[in-house]
Amino acid sequence: MSAVITVKSLSKAYRYARRRGGFFEAFSPEHVTIEAVAGVDFEIARGERVAIIGPNGAGKSTTLKMLSGILEPSGGEASVLGLTPWRERKALAYKIGVVFGQRSQLWGELPARESFTLLRHIYDQEAAPFAKRLGELTERFALTDLLDQPVHRMSLGQRMRCEITASLLHGPGLLFLDEPTIGLDVTAKAAIRDFIREHARDHGQTVLLTSHDTRDIELVCDRVIVVNQGRIVVDQPTDQLRRRFLGRKIITFQSAGQGVSLNLPGVTRRLSEAHATILEVDTKLTRVEQVIAAAMADGGIEDVTIEDPPMEEVIADIYASTHAT
Amino acid sequence: MRRDLTAAAVALRVGAGQAMAGWTVLAGRCLFYVLIMTVLSALWDKVAAEPARGAIALPAGGLVLYVLATEWITLSLPAVHMRFEDDIRSGGLEPHLLRPKFYLLQSLAQSLGGTLVRLAALGGTAVVWLAVTGRQGPPAATYPYLFVLGVLAVTVGMLLYAVAGLCAFWTRRILPVQLVIQKLMFLLGGLFAPISLYPDWLRKLAEATPFAAHLYWAGVQALAPSGAMFLTAAAWQVLWIVLLSLLCLALWRAGLAKVLREGGV
Repeated sequence: MSAVITVKSLSKAYRYARRRGGFFEAFSPEHVTIEAVAGVDFEIARGERVAIIGPNGAGKSTTLKMLSGILEPSGGEASVLGLTPWRERKALAYKIGVVFGQRSQLWGELPARESFTLLRHIYDQEAAPFAKRLGELTERFALTDLLDQPVHRMSLGQRMRCEITASLLHGPGLLFLDEPTIGLDVTAKAAIRDFIREHARDHGQTVLLTSHDTRDIELVCDRVIVVNQGRIVVDQPTDQLRRRFLGRKIITFQSAGQGVSLNLPGVTRRLSEAHATILEVDTKLTRVEQVIAAAMADGGIEDVTIEDPPMEEVIADIYASTHAT
Repeated sequence: MRRDLTAAAVALRVGAGQAMAGWTVLAGRCLFYVLIMTVLSALWDKVAAEPARGAIALPAGGLVLYVLATEWITLSLPAVHMRFEDDIRSGGLEPHLLRPKFYLLQSLAQSLGGTLVRLAALGGTAVVWLAVTGRQGPPAATYPYLFVLGVLAVTVGMLLYAVAGLCAFWTRRILPVQLVIQKLMFLLGGLFAPISLYPDWLRKLAEATPFAAHLYWAGVQALAPSGAMFLTAAAWQVLWIVLLSLLCLALWRAGLAKVLREGGV
């Protein structure tokens, strides 16, 4: 398969002035350089759905910004759809779609329909294919009732559906998604993930996604690049990564009386609170339903919560393992 | 280029639509305009009726029509500086940079769209106010010329505020720059009184500034309409629109280079 994105020794260092104490020192600040991305290399093939994950400050958003052309690197090379992003930003803009979970690209006071019409002219789209694409996306995302509503009056989930629609209206071959499900409820997250996966699969679209939510990675992407301190520490298919690192669940049991005590392989007790028992389960050794069934058999369970381990823990595991090898 | 202008024209239409959709805000501006004119006309009527010894001779007919025109322009202006500051400081600029059209042109076109709606609504309010208060307005034949100068005047004002807004690339907060521009509009633009009342050297200086192009020239046309004055006014305004556009472009290019290099401000 041909590479849509090729990155070679890409790096970015930020330099900023740090003020020192004292009156006269304020006029001669100390300059500090921070290496946000430190020489990363990877390729992404057409149709691949890839997640870049890592803790805060790992360099994932910086990488995404460089690849979309809104940040110049300090060194290295990158080619996105045959273009150098930071030199050919305008030409690249016609070919990519970008969604920032924490930033709106729509006009808040305008009804979504007006925003979409403005985007048609911004991307020089002919009326007929644009209307067809908008019709398809409106139907797929159930936007009919939202089109005439001002964006600022929409819920976050509704707005995000419109944001993704807006990013796809010009038919981009490559979609960049920066935290697309942040702040959404469970139902909205599921709808967004299903849509991104199915749309990319049906249209042969390449997706590059950053997220802190491991479910985004598991359900949307078929490959994961883990970055930490500006470097790639893991680059492998999601299945393999899940088996290696995401095969753990955190189960919290709320009980009226004594805490839950289980003796099952791969089940370890974490620091628990009164009436709440927190267990870490290695799902390769014991399935989640087995743990719940055993706990229920003990009786006295009032509530159960199942979560993924915090991303920081997964990253810490990955980082620890890459140091160990 | 043609497609860029088409997109800008759509942005202008969207801006106009936004201003019309917010008709309650627009109505509020019109009411505020009436309030201001009621107070200022009372002041200038009194000054005209009771000239103090040693006072500067006022133009015939007083200054009510002059202030009517300058306030018409001032109240039509968009808050484009706040939009730029917000986008630049919050990182809201990023989604715009990922689009193939020029953010500055699109934003200014959208702001101008809203401004034209306000200009029309406030212009209508001025005509009604003149009729209700029984005051003599400028001859009806001069209205199209006044409207042209009004459009050029708000464009100059919008570009002045755009310069203030683009300073956010370096200052992050633009309030100091905005205040300086506002005070200069007041002083050198002649918001409440024509700069022709200033000493000769100061008048000549003020006339050549963008602040006079923003307010003074449309004001004097309302006060004493003439073909020659119209051409002089339009020439100054067009000159400043060109110069301020170039300044905005230079600031944008320098600011954008900074954002692309440093990832923010």
